[in-house]
Amino acid sequence: MSELRKDPVTGRWVVIATERGKRPTDYASSEQRSESANCPFCEGSEHMTPPEVYAVRDQNTLPDTKGWNIRVVTNKFPALRPEGTLTHERRGIFERLDGIGAHEVIIETTGHFDYIQDRTNESLIRLIDTYRLRLEALMRDDRLMYAQLFKNKGELAGASLSHPHTQIIATPVVPKSVGDALNGSHSYFEAEKRCVFCDIIGEERKSGARIVYENDSFISFCPYASRFPFEMWLAPKRHKSNFISIDSAETAALADCLKITMKKLMASLGDPQYNIVLHTVPNAAAAGEFPVGMDDYYHYHFEIFPKLTKIAGFEWGTGIHINPTPPEDAAKFLQNAEI
Amino acid sequence: MAGYKLLVVDDEKNKGLLYEQELEDEGYEVDIAISGVEALEKFKMNSYDLVILDIGMPEMDGLETLGRLVAIDNSIPVIIYTAFPSFKENFMSWAAEAYVVKSMDLGELKLKIKEVLGE
Repeated sequence: MSELRKDPVTGRWVVIATERGKRPTDYASSEQRSESANCPFCEGSEHMTPPEVYAVRDQNTLPDTKGWNIRVVTNKFPALRPEGTLTHERRGIFERLDGIGAHEVIIETTGHFDYIQDRTNESLIRLIDTYRLRLEALMRDDRLMYAQLFKNKGELAGASLSHPHTQIIATPVVPKSVGDALNGSHSYFEAEKRCVFCDIIGEERKSGARIVYENDSFISFCPYASRFPFEMWLAPKRHKSNFISIDSAETAALADCLKITMKKLMASLGDPQYNIVLHTVPNAAAAGEFPVGMDDYYHYHFEIFPKLTKIAGFEWGTGIHINPTPPEDAAKFLQNAEI
Repeated sequence: MAGYKLLVVDDEKNKGLLYEQELEDEGYEVDIAISGVEALEKFKMNSYDLVILDIGMPEMDGLETLGRLVAIDNSIPVIIYTAFPSFKENFMSWAAEAYVVKSMDLGELKLKIKEVLGE
């Protein structure tokens, strides 16, 4: 018999198959890797991208030339652009804003197939630090209410190139799903006087059944109400609402946690396609839209979704996902994965 | 604008002829290719100042054609000219200098050609 589980943050329900669920070998989602020929993200192709807005590069090398480790460029054909003024109009019951925003691409490494699990911790520390710096820079623009950092790997996850990259799209509105998570966290905080994420981490550590990996500062686990098989969350153990306040020790711990977690995922599922998204607080300029005390009731974290199932009519219609692998089973495979 | 030679690649022959006529009226010399394969052949045999490239084409689509064109000569600018804005999400489109979504009149394309050619 299956069961319904409720996510304590958003109140979202999921259906979990509690009978013998699908095992890792039941899924096949290996990426069709794209060749490196003519890849605009490879070293030597700097002329194919817009000018870099930030880079980690060797001393004595010039911008937009070889000699970099990480490059950040604006999207050449962005959906939202920073130029212009933001006007907000109402037309009857309809509402519109100008397409103001920002869209940056972080080229994580020079290696076309140099994936997270294979990189050094130092390389991942530089990457996480780049995430922090770019989010901080974008959030200085008070027209931008939220910056979504996300990573797509594989065509099913929305990636068009195999070369590892992360994107940030900053929007002039706080996305509905982010608002729902903030409001849900606030409701819990009002009732319990504690952060819901801190309580989730406490519960997970108490039971251990869904933990994938933990170090001194970070934990990764398959959430109780996982929407997808092998869904994982990575969160700081110490309460922190805003990712950009991460310090250097936490950056190193996150790099370690991310690397080990991804190694375990690869060891369990081969080479799955996946998305990684960051959930953090909106820009301070949006604080007025939400209950006061965001820094107390929200807790930043990363979510990882291997692309193993399809979202179909039931999920679109109800928002209820059907997960054929209980998170306890997924965590067990991941815990036992030899890396 | 005189003297610029353009290669227009579109699998719909009638559209290609329309673009040819309109762009010749603007003073450009225009060659037409109706497939990615034909485009590559012409690109190798001739000297162009600009390529205007459709994406949705059978056999070799525009993005693959684009990759092959820049591998031959990445100094010749390419304008992607497609009915679909969604190919912007494909980072291989970054090999193009510009991306214009097709519309009934060619005004935006003509402006972009002038911009890319620095007219």
